Amino acid sequence: MNVYLLQVVNGIGIGMLYFLLAVGLSIIFGLLRFVNFAHGAFYLLGAYFCFQAMQWGMNFWLALVVVPLLVAFCAWVVEKVLLRHVYAQAHEFHILVTVGLALVLQEGVILIWGPLGDNVATPEALQGVVMWGNFIYPKYRLFVIGFTAVFALALWWVLEGTRLGSAVRAGSESTEMVSLLGINVFRIFSLVFALGAGTAALAGVLAAPIRGVEPFMGIEALGIAFVIVVVGGMGSFAGALVGGLLIGIVQSVMSTLWPEGARLMIYVAMAAVLLLRPHGLLGRG
Amino acid sequence: MTAHADNASLSFNPQHPVPHTSHLAHPGTPLLEARGVVKRYGKFVALHGVDLTVQPRTVHSVIGPNGAGKTTLFHTLTGTTGVSGGTVVFNGHDVTAEADHQRVQRGIARSFQVTSLFANLSVRENLRLAAQGVKRAGAFDLWHPPSGARAHNDVVDGVLERMALTRFANQTAGVLSHGQQRRLEVGMALAAQPLAIFLDEPTSGMGVDDLDEMKRMIRGLRDDYTVVLIEHNMNIVMDISDTVTVMQLGRVLVEGTPDAVRRDERVRRAYLGNMITGGRA
Amino acid sequence: MARLGTHFQLLLVIAVALILPLVIRSGSLATEVLIYAIAVAGCNLLLGFTGLLSFGQGIFFGLGSYTAGILLTRLALPLPLALLAAVVVGALAATLVGWFAIRQRGTYFVMLTLAFAQMFYFLAYSLPTLTGGDNGLLDVPRPPIAVGGLELMALKTPWQFYTLVAVCFVIVFWLLLRVTRSVFGRTLLAIRDNEERAAAVGYNVRLFKLAAFAISGAVTGLAGAFLAIMTGIAPLSSIEYHTSEMILVMTVIGGTGNLFASVLGAAFYVLFSDWLSTLWPRWLLLLGMLLIAVSLFMQRGLWGLGERLWLAVRRKPPADDIDAPSATESRP
Repeated sequence: MNVYLLQVVNGIGIGMLYFLLAVGLSIIFGLLRFVNFAHGAFYLLGAYFCFQAMQWGMNFWLALVVVPLLVAFCAWVVEKVLLRHVYAQAHEFHILVTVGLALVLQEGVILIWGPLGDNVATPEALQGVVMWGNFIYPKYRLFVIGFTAVFALALWWVLEGTRLGSAVRAGSESTEMVSLLGINVFRIFSLVFALGAGTAALAGVLAAPIRGVEPFMGIEALGIAFVIVVVGGMGSFAGALVGGLLIGIVQSVMSTLWPEGARLMIYVAMAAVLLLRPHGLLGRG
Repeated sequence: MTAHADNASLSFNPQHPVPHTSHLAHPGTPLLEARGVVKRYGKFVALHGVDLTVQPRTVHSVIGPNGAGKTTLFHTLTGTTGVSGGTVVFNGHDVTAEADHQRVQRGIARSFQVTSLFANLSVRENLRLAAQGVKRAGAFDLWHPPSGARAHNDVVDGVLERMALTRFANQTAGVLSHGQQRRLEVGMALAAQPLAIFLDEPTSGMGVDDLDEMKRMIRGLRDDYTVVLIEHNMNIVMDISDTVTVMQLGRVLVEGTPDAVRRDERVRRAYLGNMITGGRA
Repeated sequence: MARLGTHFQLLLVIAVALILPLVIRSGSLATEVLIYAIAVAGCNLLLGFTGLLSFGQGIFFGLGSYTAGILLTRLALPLPLALLAAVVVGALAATLVGWFAIRQRGTYFVMLTLAFAQMFYFLAYSLPTLTGGDNGLLDVPRPPIAVGGLELMALKTPWQFYTLVAVCFVIVFWLLLRVTRSVFGRTLLAIRDNEERAAAVGYNVRLFKLAAFAISGAVTGLAGAFLAIMTGIAPLSSIEYHTSEMILVMTVIGGTGNLFASVLGAAFYVLFSDWLSTLWPRWLLLLGMLLIAVSLFMQRGLWGLGERLWLAVRRKPPADDIDAPSATESRP
């Protein structure tokens, strides 16, 4: 099979995961006007909770639903207990609180599961490959592409089509107006923060069978999420998708041409986009 | 390159700052000429090709109902935002592509409609920064503290006195009353010793007492500077303006002397009533 | 009049340099305190004085390490030249990164600095012939300072090296104190307070930010070089996200109000980590909690805490300090 076609499909798979990682960050920024530096840590938690759940015998499908919800709940609590108190401060401290949180979560993970990584088994139903004539491809990766596509559609529908979504979008324009309209802004903040964390955790769960788990995967995820958001444009749903796919494909193709430099090329691509379009491909000014 | 700043510190008289007509490029020609200025924000067109000519040493007011584009026009003239079309020529130089900090060096200074000061710094420091801002080379001094000549106390003290803020010189700008802050806003523009001052609703939100004081101060400015003014207070506008430009929905409706504008039927219709006469016949 | 004069801060800095050997038994630990104090001061120039939260300080630190390492191992350059080169490389890298990042504001800017930090990490990782890759540059020598054939100063023992670092530390701090007190430094404070206003009164804000970045990069590069020469290794970790993060943590914990607070932050972190990391490997968990606590309750850091105690003892209200606007006051 054509090596480049394979890498492009891989790239789409990675890209969809990257989209999932970035879209939560973008939404949180759009509404709360700050960037959650613990976003990678929620991704990490998602992966590790999934790992632990499966160690305890839970099947992957259940974990796919339960773990993101659990992480979202934790994030919701964190927002109420911690973050709410810091909104009044200068924006540096919003960021620093989440940096502190990320550190605590990462060390917590190492405390519980140790500093070395581990593998997560692919669910039985998705083991093996699919064969369509010349096209041979791992089933699990196809599942990831399909699942994230469906999830993306569902998320888009929630944001565009429902009242909650409208409130979120309106809130990102003006929180004052939204609260004047009688909507509890703080509750929306908590919900959005939880939603963002949940999508990061979902990305972690989906990535676990491919990448395994490892305590420092959160930092790399954070960096990549930032790249996607920067490339795609801050606050843009479509931007997260376009950015994710673009970066995923670049990384994948580069991994055959220059393996050591594949991850570097992600950031070089970002710099290139920034030179040409400082606000990202689909960003608003 | 304008050398007005250096000469000024030698001959600055707090009561009567140095007029800068000697530094005008071509005496007799307009100080500011804007032609066909267009400003678009995405699909929304804020300015539809505005022409504005300001003669030196005049007070030129820009009035109009809300949404007319007055502040947007100011932004394009002072360089706070760029233009989507048209040209701005100031003192013989085409400044259309220049950013605000560059136009300050040309002799343009402004105050803001929504008070924008260095809230955590003292009043004196605010003014020193404004005075230093026009002296580009000196601002990059990495070695000397802003003391002695570098404190620009002559300029700062003059502005403090002129704007009746001397008592508050060492107060943090953020704790001043609204009226005092509005005066500081104007003072920031004066400290730059500009050729033209752009005042955006200097009296906005002011109480009656502060209002008269401010009116007196603005009237005093006309002796030494070219003043371009956005104001809603018709009392002030009609009293002190040489020329009035009326804007509506991003276009110039009428331009002329205060009397001519007051009598213009189109202007009356634009304002829905006699608000423009300021209550006087 | 500013509460903490330049001369007083300089005296404090000299005092620290003199007192550390009396208080700390290990020469290399004392040197580490001063090395990080320099790096933290560089970070504070950006954060406390210009209002720029940079996650990229590790870039300049790491590049300083590599520059010194490469020049000393491959080209056997004299030590002062290697240090100078590290300063220059740090400044150039900071100008490059700054140029990109400054085009954005607020959190977007912060994200960019982090993304660039990752970029340089992967760059260093993917050029193992130059940087030693995962292993880092090993066997970085520590030649004595010599002119001609004449040896001026041996640097063999930890305390000899400490002397060199201490002298540079005092000089660098003195220079930074002058810069922050200068017309330029006051303009940075104005930019931090209200960028739009600064531009409206005639300052080229981008240029000022870029200059602040360059100075910060230069100083941080020097610190990185010192660390490589002291430990004999220029590791990959110096350019990793963790280094950027820790430099920031030290800056915030020390306090962003003045430069001396940077010494406090560095001393706290280095000594604390040295003591605690042997007791409990997961001590970073506590550091993370401390960062959260500082962000919530103690925005002026350790220095601010000391200030509050001092004022409580003297029972006076806090005076206006032109030079150190509170970081808690949100900007317009």
